[in-house]
Amino acid sequence: MAQTIDRTKPPETPPIPTYKMPPIYETQLPNGLAVVLIEDQRFPLVTVRLSFQAGSKFDPKELPGLSGMVAGLLTQGTKTRSFREIGEELASIGGSLNGHSSPDVLTIGGNVLAENTPKLFDLLADVALNASFPENEVQLQKQNRKQGLLAQHSQPAFLANEKFDELVFGDHPYHYIAPTAESIDRMDQKSMIEFRDSHLAPNNAVLILLGKLPPRNETMNLVREKFGSWKEKPAPAAPARNFPESKRQLVLVDRPGSVQADIHIGQLAVTRTDPDYFPLLVGNSILGGSASSRLFNDVREKKGFAYDVHSELDRRKDAGVALAVTQVRNDVVEPAMEAVLGHLAAMGNAPVTAAELSDAKNYMSGVFLISLETQSGVADQVDLMKSMGLPNDYLEMFTAHVRSVEPDQIQAAAKKYFAPDKATIVVVGDASKIEKPLEKFGSVQVEKAK
Amino acid sequence: MKCLFAILILFCAVLQAAQPQIPIEKFSLKNGMRVILSRDNAVPVVSVYVIYDVGARAEEKGRTGFAHLFEHMMFEGSANAPKGTHFKLIQANGGTMNGQTHPDYTDYFETLPANKLAIGLWLESDRMRSLSITQENLANQKEAVKQERRLSFDNQPYATGIVDRWPELAFQNWQNSHSLIGSFEDLNAASVEDVAKFFKTHYAPNNAVLVLVGDIQIPEARKLIETYFGDIPSQPKPRTPDLAEPSPKPRSGVYHDAHAKVPGVVIGYPGPARHSPDYYAIGMIDILLTGGPSSRFQLDLVKGKQSVVQYQAELGWPFCSSVDFRDPGDYAMFLLYKPNFTGDQIVAQVQEEIARLQNDGVDPKELERARTLFRSDRITALQSSHQRAKLLGLYEVLDGKPEYINTELDRFLAVTPAQIQAAAKQYLTPERRSVLHIAVGAAPPPGSSGATKGGN
Repeated sequence: MAQTIDRTKPPETPPIPTYKMPPIYETQLPNGLAVVLIEDQRFPLVTVRLSFQAGSKFDPKELPGLSGMVAGLLTQGTKTRSFREIGEELASIGGSLNGHSSPDVLTIGGNVLAENTPKLFDLLADVALNASFPENEVQLQKQNRKQGLLAQHSQPAFLANEKFDELVFGDHPYHYIAPTAESIDRMDQKSMIEFRDSHLAPNNAVLILLGKLPPRNETMNLVREKFGSWKEKPAPAAPARNFPESKRQLVLVDRPGSVQADIHIGQLAVTRTDPDYFPLLVGNSILGGSASSRLFNDVREKKGFAYDVHSELDRRKDAGVALAVTQVRNDVVEPAMEAVLGHLAAMGNAPVTAAELSDAKNYMSGVFLISLETQSGVADQVDLMKSMGLPNDYLEMFTAHVRSVEPDQIQAAAKKYFAPDKATIVVVGDASKIEKPLEKFGSVQVEKAK
Repeated sequence: MKCLFAILILFCAVLQAAQPQIPIEKFSLKNGMRVILSRDNAVPVVSVYVIYDVGARAEEKGRTGFAHLFEHMMFEGSANAPKGTHFKLIQANGGTMNGQTHPDYTDYFETLPANKLAIGLWLESDRMRSLSITQENLANQKEAVKQERRLSFDNQPYATGIVDRWPELAFQNWQNSHSLIGSFEDLNAASVEDVAKFFKTHYAPNNAVLVLVGDIQIPEARKLIETYFGDIPSQPKPRTPDLAEPSPKPRSGVYHDAHAKVPGVVIGYPGPARHSPDYYAIGMIDILLTGGPSSRFQLDLVKGKQSVVQYQAELGWPFCSSVDFRDPGDYAMFLLYKPNFTGDQIVAQVQEEIARLQNDGVDPKELERARTLFRSDRITALQSSHQRAKLLGLYEVLDGKPEYINTELDRFLAVTPAQIQAAAKQYLTPERRSVLHIAVGAAPPPGSSGATKGGN
């Protein structure tokens, strides 16, 4: 029965299989609502996403976090349904609906048992068009968001992200990763309704329906019935893409009692449509995007400084950030910083090896394939493509773009965007323990944790 | 006529399976390793899932954190796949992987493009056969585990209270109550000999289950498994730790959390035996109390009394879910609340919600909603091949019945209002309750007033 094999070498296997995305049907209603249907019969479920160009970058200057509060309140009551009724109807159809806001997009996402799809459409249309922002729910949401903000400020990673985005994005609204206590105080029913009325328009949105859907004409009839009478209106312009020049700076956010230093090192980089994007994406994978990356192998496996050390690209519609992150114990802050900065510089100083490159390309191609296993995985990919304004063949071509990247392109992109002399460095930790070792890396500006 | 028609419809609805049926093929190798295969060719990927029947509850005194430290060692290389090979090879072949330590089991898993199956089997069999246990690897992973502890626990709000203090209140038997992540002192004391012995005893093929779910050809997969795992020698079955708990009694404590900024409270009740009728009833009670936006906690505590900000609850919380613990488990919950309430008030409000179930039971409509929500959640969770592989492996290791993946849902859905009321009365009483208050800010110095008065 058993074959004889040479156990000393990994088995030979064929190249990663190609996989065609399920067919995507796209259309538009006369009011401008973009509609995307994807048939997926694997499970008796339907997944929905309704995404608006209304993320937090559209927040009024004095009200950071408004988009997120609006997103949360959409499901807390409509002209005809109380919060309780919405919740009970959702449970009775095995469904969920949640509003969520990211820097660029406000999304209402949900899923339902396939047999109840029409009822979910009805609820989705109701919360998108008719949310009433009841005064008591607004007040409760404000109180609870304030407590949530307090809880977030007890987490070192949140403090680091907050300070980093503030420094890197300057006066652009990307500056804020959360509301402030003051902005929450200033928000009221009126400002929320105004935001909804001006930003949640059909011509500013894409509706994605995926799963075991009714036949296409039936599904489209339902969509027209629920969303067809929605009036289009002028869509507000996104704020100008003004960002500060990248420069070397070092801020220490003092968190007394920290047993670790949370280190973020990064700078503005590119968006998904930039020619440098795919080279930087593959380069990031080699630098710190996986458990076989340079940062992981050296800082964690070889030096034992950290449990988590990685690099990432924060990819927004109007800007991107390249960032290395690690948390290390207080007594190795200096060698850990040196190691991470060294690896950033090395990416720009020499080409990656052929083996590193082919491993990274395979990894990214496989992970993309795995992400298509679940309905929410496919829906998120399609939502991203549509909401970020990417070409229609973006997903189909993703693997080919990754495969076409050359070492010299990575080196050139890394020289620009993994550049230690342009890096904003934010460290969250106990200043009494780590300010001294940090001084080696430039003048340290110490700030109190909020 | 009309009546008959209605009955027929109802009958059809009952006959229709509540969820998609997952195919299962189960067999054992000569060395005692159990194998479960489940084919699904929707996407060309395969999940390889190896589960060992040993977890942190099997640890001995003076060796806390050992199961987790060992999990790290499993990524440090084996005879033919030296250190670094595992991560590199899986990722270079387009896969993802990880390992996790749980109270009652430890699991290792990869998801790969389907035609890369042999890579996963080669790696898993090589470390099961010939793990490299060296002083250098051990020293390095002790440091990695300490880093993990600093990152995930010591430097975070709530985590230390929940991970180190809560089990001491929830359980009285040391096997169940000791810290699963372990102390630095115990980690330092672990020797290469300890690790080697642990490996030989617990990581034998007859103490493991291998599950494959995804785009596989069953005959080919069987042949590959036989080839890679068939000749790994079996070992004497390890002794099972005694996890029995004495009768529950009310217990409470306070953890002063220097990192926390919002007060919290953990509340728990020793739960019913796994797969007993009451187990399913407590599962439905959990949905009624905390599932979805129309749950009782949401409507009454977050909205009505406006006292609670966030909550989570589960049979087996915080380390387990209702499917993945051996008895005993407890039904526990964690709530963050507004500072104008005291912890004792929150405990009283939670107990009041439970009293409503005990005294008034549950409205059939409300129960029907909870059932539908539960069914939807279970089906949603079956989508990824990794999740299916994990469930199959868990039901095999803990119950010897992988087919539970297809039948458990029906047993939850069959719970009646009378069973819910009875289970609430029997299990969720103040006399059996443990409470841990997590107070904001470091403990006041000893002797100062209020040092032990908690909950606010």
